[in-house]
Amino acid sequence: MSEKKKKRAHEPGRNTLLAMMAFFFLAFFLLALNDGKWESFALSAVVPAIIYLGTAGISHLFPSDRLLLSLTNFLCALGVLVLYRLSPTRGMTQAFNYGVGVGCMMLCAMLVRYVRSWKWLTALIMLGSIGLLALPLVIGKETNGAKNWFYIGSYSVQPSEIVKLALLISVSYLLSQRKVFLSLVFAGACLLMLMLQKDLGTALLYFGVTFILLYAATGSVPLMIGGVAGGAAAAVLGYQMFAHVKKRVAIWLNPWADSGGAGYQIVQSLIAIVNGGAWGVGLGLGNAQVIPEYYNDFIFSVILHEFGLVFGLVVLCMYLFIIIRGVMIARRCRTVFHALLATGCASLIALQTFVIIGGNIKLIPLTGVTLPFISYGGTSMLCSLCVIGLLQGVASRNKAGVKEDRELAMQGGEAP
Amino acid sequence: MSGDAYEILALLMRYVFAVIGALIVFRSFIWLRKDARAYRKEMRSLPDAGLIGEMVDLDTGKAQPLPREGVIGSSRECDIRVKGDGVLRRHVRFEFVDGKGLKLIPARRGLTLLNGVEMRGPGWALHGTQLGIGAHALRVRMFAGLNVPMPAAYPEPDTILDAADEEIPWTNITVENSYYLPEEQPADAVPFGGNPDYDGNYDDDGQMTWQYAYSMEDLRQEQAARQWIDSQEDAEEPEPRSRRKRRGRRE
Repeated sequence: MSEKKKKRAHEPGRNTLLAMMAFFFLAFFLLALNDGKWESFALSAVVPAIIYLGTAGISHLFPSDRLLLSLTNFLCALGVLVLYRLSPTRGMTQAFNYGVGVGCMMLCAMLVRYVRSWKWLTALIMLGSIGLLALPLVIGKETNGAKNWFYIGSYSVQPSEIVKLALLISVSYLLSQRKVFLSLVFAGACLLMLMLQKDLGTALLYFGVTFILLYAATGSVPLMIGGVAGGAAAAVLGYQMFAHVKKRVAIWLNPWADSGGAGYQIVQSLIAIVNGGAWGVGLGLGNAQVIPEYYNDFIFSVILHEFGLVFGLVVLCMYLFIIIRGVMIARRCRTVFHALLATGCASLIALQTFVIIGGNIKLIPLTGVTLPFISYGGTSMLCSLCVIGLLQGVASRNKAGVKEDRELAMQGGEAP
Repeated sequence: MSGDAYEILALLMRYVFAVIGALIVFRSFIWLRKDARAYRKEMRSLPDAGLIGEMVDLDTGKAQPLPREGVIGSSRECDIRVKGDGVLRRHVRFEFVDGKGLKLIPARRGLTLLNGVEMRGPGWALHGTQLGIGAHALRVRMFAGLNVPMPAAYPEPDTILDAADEEIPWTNITVENSYYLPEEQPADAVPFGGNPDYDGNYDDDGQMTWQYAYSMEDLRQEQAARQWIDSQEDAEEPEPRSRRKRRGRRE
């Protein structure tokens, strides 16, 4: 065996990728044996192929982080699998969203990789974000107590998901330029819009990400104390102002008090998790459809129900690795902007995952945010993959930086 | 497939899925760790990674690493820390721009000197540029190989101290009365490429003077000497390609 082949065989990524492909081949094949549909048989070949192309192919085309890509692809494909199992139509739509999302991810990666000056772009993004957030207030439709959606024809759009990216880029850029006040004004304006839309789950994410970025950029303790105090005041104000927040807190404290009504969702979720046990009830054997919003807010409960607690921990570990990888990318950055951007991306994924999984297992009150990469929804999937795209762009910049450093080291010494 | 057979298969497969999942997590962990180790190893071999040079305090001789972007000031969080009167907490922000040099953005007008000229807005520094911050004179030294314009062979005449015509004895030069400190060299050093015929410019006590260091005539001589050295280097026979390759591999 040649040296190159030996090296490839010992590559850790290669085996991981093979294991991922095997997982989805077996899972879709099992579903195909149950329903006998040709689509399921086709998916058992197509999904592993997409995982391979989405990881190895992209990293050949663009200098990206393969570990991050493979973990993201696994979670996205898991979302397609779970949704396809429960509702084939939604599964196929999610597969389409995944494909579009990969394109957007590449676009974001290239944006970060090649854009040198963010000054005007950031100004444009900030203005666009405020405009986008204002749209649901004007032409939006209220769903589950929040008015955070609007419709273009048959397509529904959630601007707060798109603005998440804008917030990451704008606040990171402004803080890298030491424009702390302006960044606070922008984040505050976004939070105000979200409060008006009563989209408090997303507002919590925005607040958390801004807080983390502010700490990473300034390290100022008084600012942090002010932030915590402000956040606590906003939480109390939100609780007093919005009836649906009070209701959600009451459900969180005791869902069994109204298990057939307001607490139905969380009670069904808890029952599904307990039924799943350590190993799950088996793929295709569960009855997770009884949980309202099983495809969206409660998809983690569905995974625990069908695949079990052990597999749930596997999924959590994958999120953890993505977050750790994000932090590693941030630490390797050459510029403050990129470091802050990567920190923001990692913290956004971490917060969003914690908020929704915590809500599913009754650790914290349930909020209407999606589980990144897995939950059903075009905007959510695109936004999550765009966040990974931003991280990939930063990783690619880091690789270019190391290459440059190596060249400089070869030249040695000072300029003449 | 019958319902019972599928049920048995699905119940068995849940263990398989858990095992494959655990395997993926384990392999990912190994991957993560290997990558972190490889990066650490690479960084050990590149001690100047992320840096573009150094900033030397000409008074103390202390050199501080110069990152691609950061802040010069007296605050603890500054990348280049200089303390003393007239130094703001965040005095100057700097950012390396490929192909242009080090962009300097002073926090306030008129508090920073760039090659002896008061900065009234952003400015550019190259290799050899001198910054005056408070009582400190800092020199920018950049690594070779960076994509930056070559600095001028000598400073523009109008950026030299207005009182350059005045003869200031070498020993009396302080930070306050100098914008350009000459390179450190003994007073009896033979200037410019060791030309023994050049008698230099000394005061009555035989001390080298400021005028000597930066008179236009001397600078012209320095430039001529550099050009001569460059022409000698160019004339040298280039190293054969095969040897260069071998050397590169060894390195």
